[in-house]
This record gives sequence, C-alpha cells and structure tokens, in this order.
Amino acid sequence: MRCYINRVITAEEVSSDIKLLIPDAGVRRRMSRVIKSAVTTAVECMGAVEEIDSLDAIITATGWGCLADSERFLRNIIVDKEQLLNPTPFIQSTFNTVGGQIALLRHNHCYNVTYVNRSHSFEDALLDAMMRIADGESEKILVGAFDEQTPSQHRIMERMGLFRKCNDGEGAVFAHITATQTPESKAQVEKIDFLQHPLSEEECFARYASSDSSKLLYNNYSEYGLFPTSSAYCFAKAVKLIQDGVKEVVVYKEYLGDTPVVLIIRCIG
Amino acid sequence: MEQLVKELKEHLIEELNLEEITVEDIDTEAPLFGDGLGLDSIDALEIILILEKYYGVKLANSAEAKPAFYSVKTLAEYIMQNRK
Amino acid sequence: MGIVVTGVGIVSALGIGVEKNLAAISLGESGISALPKLLRTTNKLPVGELRLSNEELHALIGIPIEEHLSRTALLGILAVKEAMACIDIDFSKRVGLVSSTSVGGMDLTEHFFEKFIEDDTTGRLRDVRMHDCAASTEAIARYCGINSYKTTLSTACSSAANAVIAGAKLLKHNIVDYVVVGGTDALSAFTLNGFKSLMILDEKPCRPFDATRAGLNLGEGAGYLILQREEDAKSYYCHLSGYSNRNDAHHQTASSAEGNGAYLAMSDALKMANMLPADVSYINAHGTGTGNNDASESAAFLRLFGDSVPPFSSTKGYTGHTLAAAGGVEAVLSVLAIKKGCRYPNLNFATPIPEYGLIPMLKYENDVLVNSVLTNSFGFGGNCSSLLFTR
Repeated sequence: MRCYINRVITAEEVSSDIKLLIPDAGVRRRMSRVIKSAVTTAVECMGAVEEIDSLDAIITATGWGCLADSERFLRNIIVDKEQLLNPTPFIQSTFNTVGGQIALLRHNHCYNVTYVNRSHSFEDALLDAMMRIADGESEKILVGAFDEQTPSQHRIMERMGLFRKCNDGEGAVFAHITATQTPESKAQVEKIDFLQHPLSEEECFARYASSDSSKLLYNNYSEYGLFPTSSAYCFAKAVKLIQDGVKEVVVYKEYLGDTPVVLIIRCIG
Repeated sequence: MEQLVKELKEHLIEELNLEEITVEDIDTEAPLFGDGLGLDSIDALEIILILEKYYGVKLANSAEAKPAFYSVKTLAEYIMQNRK
Repeated sequence: MGIVVTGVGIVSALGIGVEKNLAAISLGESGISALPKLLRTTNKLPVGELRLSNEELHALIGIPIEEHLSRTALLGILAVKEAMACIDIDFSKRVGLVSSTSVGGMDLTEHFFEKFIEDDTTGRLRDVRMHDCAASTEAIARYCGINSYKTTLSTACSSAANAVIAGAKLLKHNIVDYVVVGGTDALSAFTLNGFKSLMILDEKPCRPFDATRAGLNLGEGAGYLILQREEDAKSYYCHLSGYSNRNDAHHQTASSAEGNGAYLAMSDALKMANMLPADVSYINAHGTGTGNNDASESAAFLRLFGDSVPPFSSTKGYTGHTLAAAGGVEAVLSVLAIKKGCRYPNLNFATPIPEYGLIPMLKYENDVLVNSVLTNSFGFGGNCSSLLFTR
C-alpha cells in the first residue's frame, strides 16, 4: 500500500480569507471555532489542487469532536431545564459535521466518514484512505484531522494531572493524497504500522529506518501540545522534512497509554 | 408595532448569529426564507424559540403558522395577535 | 474475495439477544414505552429503553461495579459477547474491532457536568473518563478479548453501517482475521433533547412510512456482526456482498427530496455485488418516521426500483431509533432474515404517503426464501450508507 501526498496544510498556514473559503454567510454563522478552522483548512488544502471537485473520498479524524458545541448544548439542557433549547449546537456537535460541511460546500457525493479513535484517529483515517487507493476505489482523497481545546476540557485534563509534562493544544491539518504521482506530489506514505507494544527510540529506528540518514520523529507530538490528533502535525512536519531533502522520516507516536503507531514517509521515487 | 419590529430584528440577529447584518439591513417586508434573508429550516426552529421565549407565543412547528413566517412584518403581526 | 458473517449479537429495547428480539418482533410486540423510566429527564416522550440499570448491566456481565463503565460500553459488550459466542474463535489469530457510537459516555458525562458547571473543582472525574467515543471501544476490546487492530467511527446515525464497511476492508487487506463490527448507543438526555429541539420526536409511537408520521422515537441498543474471509470460515450466516457510503450533500440535517445520497448508496451496493434491483428480496429501510427521511427514502426507492419496490419495512417501530447502533441492530436483523427466512413488519402503518403510494410489509413472514437483503442507514451531515447481504 502506498499513496502520494500532494499538499498538507495546517490551520496556522491558512492564508485566504474565510469569506472566500466559505462564501455563504448562512453557513459560516452556525460554525463554531473548530468547525471554521477545520473547514477552512480543508478548503485551502483542496483549493490549490487541480480538479478540486473530483475528490472521491473525504476522510476526517477527531479525538474529541466538536467539544464547544457539545458543552454548549449540555449546559443549555441543565441551565434551561430541558426547555426551549436552540438546536444549532446539537446539530453542530456531531462528529462528522466537518466532513459533512466540506461535502456540502463542494456538492460532493463521495465516500465521507469520520474516525473518532483517540490518538489513532488520524492514522486510522490515513489507513482507510490507503486501503481505498489500493482497492482502486479512490484516486484523490482529502484526509484531515482536527481537535479543539475548551476551558472545560482544559480544566478536566488539569484535574486529571495531564499537564505535568505537556501543555494543552489544538489544531487542524488536512492533506490531499492521490493514488498516482502528480506534478504536485511532495512525498509518499510508505507504511502505517499499529503496534501492540511500545518501542524505545533505538528499537524504533532499528526496526523501521531503511538507512542511517533516515530521520526519526519520536513522540514529537508534545511539540504541538496535548490533543489526540496532534500526530497529524508530525505528519505535516515529516512532509516538510522530505521537501527539505530528507529521504525518509519515521514518525513514532505513543500518546497517553494508547498503543503506538508508526508512519513512514519517504521522498518520491 | 414599530418598536416590536425593531426588537424582533435584534432578536433575529442575536439568536440566529447573523454575521455583519444590522437592524437597518433587514427589510421588514422582504421574505425571511429563500431569496430574502436566506434563512432555512433550522432558523425556522430558532424563530419558534424566539416567539416562545420573548413573547410567550407557542407553536408546535412552523407549518402551523406558515404565513406568519414570511417576513419580519408578518411575524410581528402574528405576535401582536397571539401574545399573552 | 468473499466476506461472510459468522456471528451476530443484538441488544435493544426488545431485550438482550437474538432470541428475545426475534420473538418480540414475530409477536408484533414493540419495545417502545410511553415514558423513559431509567433516563433522567423531565421530557414525557416515548423511548425504546432497555429496562436494566447500569448497576444491573455490570452485574449481568460480571464486571465489578467499581469499573463504572458507560451505558454505551455496557450495551456494546453484551452484544459483542453474544456475537463472539456464535463461533469458536481462535484467539491465536488477529481479532479486530471496528465499533461506533454517536454519544459515547454521555450518560455519565451528564452527571459530571451538572456538578462541574456549578463549581469546576467538583464532578467525579470517573464520570467523565469515558466521555470520548473510543472509550467504549476500548472497554469492549478489553472485556471481549480483542487482540488486534481496533478503531472507532462516528458518522451520526449511519455510524455502524460504516463500521461494517471498514471491517470488510480490514479483512480484504489481511490486517485482521476476524473483525467485530457494529455500533452501540445508550439513551441520553443530550440526544433526547437534541432531537426534541429539532422538533422531530413523535409524542406517540412512531409511524414509519405512514402519511400521518410525525417524527421518530429514540431508542438505545447495540448490534454487532463477526466478519471473516469466506475461505477462513467453517460455516456462516450469509455473505456481505455489497456496501457503499455516499453523501447527500444537501443539508446538514435534512435529506434531499430526490434522495440523492440514498439512491447512490443503494445503487453502488448493488453494483458491487453485480446484482440488479430486481434481485433484492427485502429492504430493511432507515425509516425513522420523520416527515423528511421517509419521503426522501421513498423517493430513492422509486428511482432505483421503479414500479417494483421489493418488500420493505422499517423496524424502528420495535426498537426506536438507536442512532449510531441502528446500522448494527438492523444489520443483525437483515442477516437473520436471510438465515431464518423471515421478513419483518412495519409497525403502526395505516395510510401510504400520497406522493409515493408505497406500502411496507405489514405482517411477519416466516419460512420464506430470502436471498438478499439491502439495509439502509442515513445520518446527519448527509451521510448515507447501504449494506447488501446475500445468501
């Protein structure tokens, strides 16, 4: 299984005006912060790629989902005693809201699912994409991850003692991948491996690196803060390293007791 | 009536989160749904909440008083007739 | 390569297990009651509730109460255990899990949040530990001996159908040898109030496909299948021959009048199996009982099947709409329809929708040859999935 990465965009890199990316004010006004951030990242990621409307799969990933809307609706239920509730936060709290909004914006009827599997969400989405490509079901796929931090979530994680070694974080990353190489292709995903047991830095390098010049990003997610899909940022970083001339990057992630995942990203050819 | 129309527009802007729209921008007689303000079925649910929350006017669904949901003017008239 | 179903497990308001569910359906007994009894809510609305408390569920499965699992996880464990008991699983092989849920541990989070919003140093952390969707998957994996790849999907009310699709792909790519697929969702004040705020809950028992339908009834439950590669299975219930997920791309919550997403999903599933519309013996419809869904789904039926729409019904009049679990619960019923040669009636139907004139199955049928069953699951975000099971 292999696929080509044509473009990776993080929420921080989105440069276009939201009004250009999501032209309908009626759509924008219902969107929470994370939905806006994820959808604009997705649209910017698609935008620079030719044949933008010919995507044949949209696969999203989120560990926490649309937390702010979930909290808002839950709070309203309690405070307003189950009376006169505004449906919008309920509707928008659904985990596949971002995927659905992308389809809606582009009138795209293709395969569209959302993985919600803690720190593996992004890698599971990528695996699904690669299986679709291997099966000839898809040629061009948008894969992305997003998570948002809220004051409540921060407080709960703080009480759980999770910030002793790491700060909190949030973000969105989308990638455009294809079955075949395109003039835009920057790197290729060579392998995804879901491990049952952790590996040390040395073990990981010995097992996965194909040469001494390979670069290992070992548990680098902490650089981006503590949120389930932070490894999507490691994926984005790996692609940048390849663009800078590194031949192979091995990304190892082990997050809050979840079993580890390894990604191998290589230069083209 | 004029005061009610203004207040209703303020509630619509606030509750429906109408970005960059001011009270002056909303034409009292223009359609709320479709072409005019461009509202949809979810907004209709929120308008039902506005009627009940601020004016005590209860509706089971928007079909029950469909003509009232045409414009701000028709909504205001409906409130005048039915408020407690 | 063929994918076969080798095990089934179900929990719904009708009870725990295949036998109880089938017995109730064959007798025309609905699991929907006039009011929630266990769910903490002031809403007086009919629901399909399993009448066993979380404490009773822990005890029934033999899990210490201190484990404090969410109701979603408990329902899931019950259904997965039943499915896995259908065959002798060789645990030296890779046993994977693709689970799904729409609210995860919301039943516990609701307790937590009540205290937390008053004072953020209160609320028991163990009530929020299982909030995320994957927590229920982890709990199922731990208590059911899953030893390989596991993941969680959430696409609202089509979730479990998408879990079935994902599981089939894992088998094809030799990532697992057995895969448990399906979904689980407990009733919660969150979802009950959510659907109430959308004004699509019927205050009476739901009437799918009826001209006077006025909304859905929420339910809770879990439905899981065991899938294997055909060459690895000693015996099986039926094949999973086709599947598809497509997007309606019409509206965040409403389905298009033409049923675009539904039509595409059903057609793709048939194409994948190299079958014609005329080959379908029964459709287990999504049929929630809302004005919008049943109209859109009827339109899609007429587009695909023309004048000869196969016998179809919605079983939500028995179970209520179990959200993420619905695709799993109904996949189990679809598999059983083939295996046992039965077709299920659509409760509370009296008058066809004038625009479509479609009449669902009205009587329980036994001893019929059911060669193929198409089952639909549609969710928010335009998410439309169809699964096709064949003999």
